[in-house]
Amino acid sequence: MERSAITAQLTEIMIDVFDLDELEYRDDLSAADIEEWDSLSNIRFMVAVEKEFGFRLSNSEIESLKNVGEMVDLIERKLA
Amino acid sequence: MNDALLGIIGDRPATRTIALAILDAWPDHARYLEKSLSARTVSELQTTELLAQAALTLEGARLPELAANYRWTCDRLREEELFFHREGRYRLTTFAEADAEVYSNDAYMERYVDGLLLSQVMWYNHVASCTYYFTQAPGLIPSDAKMLEIGPGHGLMTYLAVRDFGLSAATVWDLSPVSVEHTRSALARLGIGSVNCAVRNALSVSETDDKFDFVVLSEVLEHIEDPAEVMRKLRAIVAPQGLVFVNVPINSPSPDHLYLMRTPDEARDLLRKTGFEIMSEAMFATQGMKLERALKNAVTVSVCMFARPV
Repeated sequence: MERSAITAQLTEIMIDVFDLDELEYRDDLSAADIEEWDSLSNIRFMVAVEKEFGFRLSNSEIESLKNVGEMVDLIERKLA
Repeated sequence: MNDALLGIIGDRPATRTIALAILDAWPDHARYLEKSLSARTVSELQTTELLAQAALTLEGARLPELAANYRWTCDRLREEELFFHREGRYRLTTFAEADAEVYSNDAYMERYVDGLLLSQVMWYNHVASCTYYFTQAPGLIPSDAKMLEIGPGHGLMTYLAVRDFGLSAATVWDLSPVSVEHTRSALARLGIGSVNCAVRNALSVSETDDKFDFVVLSEVLEHIEDPAEVMRKLRAIVAPQGLVFVNVPINSPSPDHLYLMRTPDEARDLLRKTGFEIMSEAMFATQGMKLERALKNAVTVSVCMFARPV
């Protein structure tokens, strides 16, 4: 899957999970940039990613992610 | 300390002391606490301080350990949240499972009970539910009421009632002798020595038992395999003009939550279908989230109901 397609899908997931009207994707987007992104909504975000892309994330993968770009990198590796 | 958080807490020293202790143990929790506290009304902030004072009276001498155990408990809850959103159900469904994993595990229980005590102060839905109970009950229950609380935990609901509701008597029941002793000790430390604390199974009540004017089940029914059966039984010991207060969380995964309710109507049916009429209700979502959004995302909502027998 093209990276641009992954980022488009991820943006849709984030808009839904974090209840946003719109979101301009950047690789360095993190919880610090989105008010509704907290420890609880992060769990829903991770599970939504799992369901959308069809794989399971480990706890260490979930805990190590620093920003959305790292999530895209991880999705690329998982789908490769 | 985070200036915004400090500003929200204001001149509430017990709340500040607990928030500082938690941030020492868990600096990354600042944003959660700021959001949780900023969602509160003045009345809810006053309840926060009252509960914080009680928590410090109970366990203030070991506050750093308490704060560390709060963090540990939140880690366990995040694991349950992950399972819940992946699988669409609570992980455990039987009391035997919860007993083996949680209630009979002394080391687990010690940390978990500490964590839950601080959650009573720091989680928005807990404080908002307590504020609703604290402000509404005096106008709804009969004067000189005989109160019964089932599954009292640290006894905070009974403590507030004995302090402020003009009761004639208060009783607490729990299945576990260890829990009953824990509640008795906690109430004594809070200066409430007049409560009858008994080991009793709510399922064992009958029509011939003493009646109570006010029966409280706060965060209890979700721990039971068949909560409707408990409510049907309890109907027999609520006085004709009496009232029950039920606080039950929906979509609330936790290591010992067994009975999953997904909608407010499922919570209401626990009372409507077991011989009660709801007189007053309120719902409080985690972090003060709007109810519609919380339900859409299966986020925890505390459903609080006062009901009378019909």
